[in-house]
Amino acid sequence: MCAKVGVDTLASNKGFWAELLGIGDFYYELGVQIVEICLATRPHNGGLINMQELCTLLRQRRKSDHEAVSEDDCLRAISKLKVMGSGFEVISIGKKKLVRSVPTELNKDHNQILELAQAQGFVTVDEVERRLSWTTGRAIDALDTLLDEGLAMIDDGHRDDRRRYWFPCVSSITSSVGIDT
Amino acid sequence: MACSYRDMQQLGDFKLPAFFNYPPYFTLQPVRDTREKQVQLWKELILDYCRTQKIFVIGLEEEFPLFSNPVIERSLSNEAREVFLSALVSEGRAEWLDKGHRKCLILWHRIQDWADIILSFAKDNGLEDSVTTLEEIRTGIESRGTELHGMDRTVLMRALKLLEHKGKLAIFKGTSADDEGVKFSV
Repeated sequence: MCAKVGVDTLASNKGFWAELLGIGDFYYELGVQIVEICLATRPHNGGLINMQELCTLLRQRRKSDHEAVSEDDCLRAISKLKVMGSGFEVISIGKKKLVRSVPTELNKDHNQILELAQAQGFVTVDEVERRLSWTTGRAIDALDTLLDEGLAMIDDGHRDDRRRYWFPCVSSITSSVGIDT
Repeated sequence: MACSYRDMQQLGDFKLPAFFNYPPYFTLQPVRDTREKQVQLWKELILDYCRTQKIFVIGLEEEFPLFSNPVIERSLSNEAREVFLSALVSEGRAEWLDKGHRKCLILWHRIQDWADIILSFAKDNGLEDSVTTLEEIRTGIESRGTELHGMDRTVLMRALKLLEHKGKLAIFKGTSADDEGVKFSV
């Protein structure tokens, strides 16, 4: 039918769909790079990365680009990813924005711990109990889940012998940790 | 975020990777995927460091500089050291020199790689069908500037034995008590 009407389907459709989906678009390309960075850093941070670090890594990647990438650009690109059903999401924890690239469901308890961790990059069980007025059981439950999800790492090396739970997603270990972007 | 400690950037002229300054990497991680990542990072670091510093043997109970970061006050436990080195052993990049797992031979070049390097060296220096010694190979003038220079005797001997097994050379008792002769028949 298209041939009858004299329409070259390939040529016109490409443009039509491309525009609809934003393919070839600045934000589409940015989205692809964001996905790659999130995948590359996932073994280190469990699939949660803070926006600042993501933008820094993006800028490092796009060094030759004349168009600077702002946080706003990232947010836009991620919202497009979300539209495509990719499971990407931006969540706010305390003062920070984190980009989630895995389907991990974080509940209020987890979010509160992540917020607490923003001060020093880690928390201890004591600190969680004290600052949030939780029982030991509740603190350990939440921390264990975060550990299992790959969002936390344990540190038993401090001379005070107290276990620390570190959260890579609230730190900026840029250009590090086996990222081959 | 207020966690800005000084970073340990270098060990001599060796540039340290960023993970070396993140305290949890010095504690064996209990979660499997996280542990795998940790082991991979440490394996690569150990091989890189040994390769650039030409270190062939690591003594677990000795103060190997790579196992501590004084700036962040963290050190690998003996258990962690053994886990990382055992991982290297499993993939053929290291060997335990004793049953107690206290000394580990690091094969940043596999024995086969060393054998290839020796063969190239022999060809480059016209040693086919000639006689030389173990010491000559690893400390002689021709060895300078090559990877063979200053090489560990044990590793060299293993590579030579491999080549002997393949009929590329013959090893025999040298004129001095602690040196061996090598005749190439490439």
